[in-house]
Order: sequence, then structure tokens, then C-alpha cells
Amino acid sequence: MDEEKIIECRNLTHYYGKRLIYENLSFSVPKGRILGLLGKNGAGKTTTINILSGYLQPKAGQCFMFGHDTLSMPHEMRRRIGLLIEGHVQYQFMTIKEIEKFYASFYPGQWKRDAYYELMNMLKVAPGQKISRMSCGQRSQVALGLILAQDPELLILDDFSLGLDPGYRRLFVEYLRDYAKSENKTVFLTSHIIQDMERLIDDCIIMDYGGILTQQPVDQLLNTFHRYTCRVPDGYSCPSSINGMYRPNVLRQTFEVHSFLKPDEVENELRSAGVPVNNLICENLNLEDAFIGLTGKY
Amino acid sequence: MIYYKEWIKTRWFLLLLFLSSNGFAGYAVLRIFRVVELKGAAHLWEVGIIKDSVFIESTMQFVPLIAGILLAIVQFAPEMYHKCLKLTLHLPCSHSKMIFSMLKFGLLAVISCFFVNLLILFFGLQQVFAHELYWHIILTALPWFLAGIAAYLLTSWVVLEPSWLYRILFIAISMMLIRIYFISPYPEAYNGFLPYLTVFTFLLGSLSWISVSHFKKGKQF
Repeated sequence: MDEEKIIECRNLTHYYGKRLIYENLSFSVPKGRILGLLGKNGAGKTTTINILSGYLQPKAGQCFMFGHDTLSMPHEMRRRIGLLIEGHVQYQFMTIKEIEKFYASFYPGQWKRDAYYELMNMLKVAPGQKISRMSCGQRSQVALGLILAQDPELLILDDFSLGLDPGYRRLFVEYLRDYAKSENKTVFLTSHIIQDMERLIDDCIIMDYGGILTQQPVDQLLNTFHRYTCRVPDGYSCPSSINGMYRPNVLRQTFEVHSFLKPDEVENELRSAGVPVNNLICENLNLEDAFIGLTGKY
Repeated sequence: MIYYKEWIKTRWFLLLLFLSSNGFAGYAVLRIFRVVELKGAAHLWEVGIIKDSVFIESTMQFVPLIAGILLAIVQFAPEMYHKCLKLTLHLPCSHSKMIFSMLKFGLLAVISCFFVNLLILFFGLQQVFAHELYWHIILTALPWFLAGIAAYLLTSWVVLEPSWLYRILFIAISMMLIRIYFISPYPEAYNGFLPYLTVFTFLLGSLSWISVSHFKKGKQF
């Protein structure tokens, strides 16, 4: 196995009952990169995190972290992995001080107490404050602070944006990016809020129901994936699928399609498909628009 | 340090459990003292010998059972809230060591509490009854305390189970197993069986591993 691959998943297939979540899903996360797994609700993001963290046995396929199969990973390896559970879940019955004391005892020699308290000082809450009495935003900072204090090589964050207001999301993203880049950490995260991901992740995997639509660096995606529009006659009904195009649709006499192809290639394909192309407009997209372009609005 | 977490989680409940269960034990003894005041010790001895009465049955019989069930819920329900158990299992320690340490903490807590309950009963009954009579009552009460330990271990097994289908099955099995401790209404009926019942009770602790294995496999139905 390539040493530079911190995470590697091979041909993952999973079902809940008879419902297929995905089939033959394969991807890898190289060392030092921040990779975001993006998908709609129910596309299988949390399922993938659960398989990676060893809390779900896939129907087929294997996952490796640091070269170890996640189902038989030595428990000492978990020292190198920071895990943030969906909803920033932490022990509700503990206080800020107690939870730090508890976790610190499991990570002797690597625990960075100051990193935790630096973040806690920003929250303006007393050390004796119980986590159950904190807002979701404050809890997210406690969870992030604990991960930063653990100082793991790999961070796995499941839907870190869940329940956070824009201020806390921005704080979380900026703090995390700064930490990951300065310390050369590898981050694998999921989110269904795409807005903030553009300023956080290096690479993205965009999932739809059943599998991966694309995996590539965000810059590359935004440079190559475009929205194409043109005016069409009233009552025109476009084909449901066109070669090399994503989500063709017509709204108020405007035909819209997304594609990785270049403008002249798109025009040729559209004409071949019988679309009455007239003044085709090519637009650059942000990550959220690209995500909608690939996965659709519904 | 897993004990530190368990202590923080359960300390107020343990205080309540300690006060209330010992309150019941004290009340059972005080009721006997009251009868002695009103009707005399001779009457009490007569009832004890002729009617084979153990006197504390109505007050104490189900106290350890309820204590065991409540402690397991207080200790393990927060672990299952939003699947918080993932945090515990993600710590760099072996999963079996982690789970059995948590159970060990709970067991030590209930056993300490039951031990003090028995001490109160023992010294209280000693004031009124002859050696044979107070040992007769204590030996009759021992299966109730074993039922409390079994209830703690079985409730832990049920609460840690992630699948509702299995949880219902485990509740049904647990109820049948708990019935074993209350089958015979006769005093000292379990005397010859007590050592085996004690071993059986502590073996119930291994059942929780089934639930944790289900949790690790991501069982939902």
C-alpha cells in the first residue's frame, strides 16, 4: 500500500435492509490534504464515516487507515485519529474542565492542553460550565478543542456544520484550516452545507445516491465544470439526458445544463441532441453551484 | 480514568441510591423495633418461628432489583444518547477493557450499597432476634440482593443494545432470568443453590459484549 495514502477505501458496498447506499465505492485520502465528502442527505456520508471509524461493517469492500484494515485496527492506532461525531456529540454530563482532564489521561505525551484552553477562552464560558447547558455552537468548539489538544495525524469530522450558525461555522472552518495546514494534518470530513467548504477543503468527492459522481481537487473542479445556458422557444421540452451533460432542464424559456466539456464541445453535443442552441453562455461556478449542477436540485 | 467518567456521570444518583436503599433497610428494621415496643419481642419470635415470617419482605424484597435497574439506566443511557458510546470506543484502549471496566464500576457501586444495606439489617435484627432467626432472615434476603446485581447486568445488556428488535428480545429474556430469583416464596429456599446462583449472576456480565458487538457492526434493526 502507498505510504502516502492515509485513508484508502476499496470497492465499498453497503445496504440498509434492501436499500442500496452505494456500490463499489473506492477513494483515497493522501497525507496532508483536506478532503470533503459532499452529498445530499441520505447519500451515504455518515455511513462512510461509520465504516471508517469501525462502527459499521460494510456488506463488501475494505477500508484502510494508516495501512490497517479499519475492522481489525490495533487500538493504539486510534491515538493517531481524531473523531468528531455528527452534531458535535460529547459527554453532556461533564464540564469543560472535567472533559479535558478525562481525555488528557488517554493521550500521555501528545496532549496539548493549551490548544484546548486557547479555544475555550474564546467562548466566554466558565470552566465549570456543563456541556449539556451549552449551545450547539459552543459544543462544536469544545469538540474541536479536544481534537486539537489530542493532536492527531488524521482528523475525521462527520457533518461538522450541523446546527452551527454562520459565525460559528466560519470560526470552525478558519481555525481548522489554519491548524491542518500549519501542522500538515490530513482531514477527511463530510458536510451537507457546501458554502463554507470552498474555503476549507483541497479535494472533494461529490456523491449521489449509489456512488461517486466526481473526485478531484476543488480548484480543478471549479476551473473545468461550467453551467451553460441559452434561450429556447416557448414550450420547448429538452431531452432528459445528453451525452457528457449533467441535469439538463428548461425554466421560463431558458435551457440550462452543466458539463466538464469545453464550450465548443458542448455546443456540438447539444446540436446533436436536437437542442436549438442560440447564443450559448458559459458561466463559472462556485462549489455550491457545482454541487447542485452535479447532483440536481431534488 | 474510565472510572473518573463513570463517577462524574453517576455520583449524584449513587448518593441518592445509597440514601434511599439504606433508608428502606433502616425503615425495615425500625418497623420491627416498633412491633417489639407494641407487642413485645416474644410475640415477634413466635410469629417468626410458627409462621416462618421474615418480616422485611414487604419493605426490602424489590429494593435491590429497582436499584440495579436504575443504576444501569443512569450509567448507560447517556452512552447511547446520540451514540455517545462511539466516543468511549474511540479511546486508545481495548474495547473489552473499556466496557468491562464500566461494568466493574457499576458492580462495585451496587455491591457496596447492598453490603451497607445488609449491615444495617444484620445489626438491626441482631438487637431483637436470636442468632438462628436473624441469619434465617439474612439468608432469605440474599437472593433479592443477587437479583439486584443481575438486574444491573441485564439492564446494561438491554440499554447498550442498539437495535430495538434485539432490545425487546433481551428485555423478555431478562424478565425470565430475573424470575429465577423470585420463584420460591419460602424462606431460605435458595440456600443450597446460592453459590451456583452467585456464579450465574456474575456470568451475566458477559452478555453486554453481545450488545457492544452489535453496536460495532452498526446493527439498526
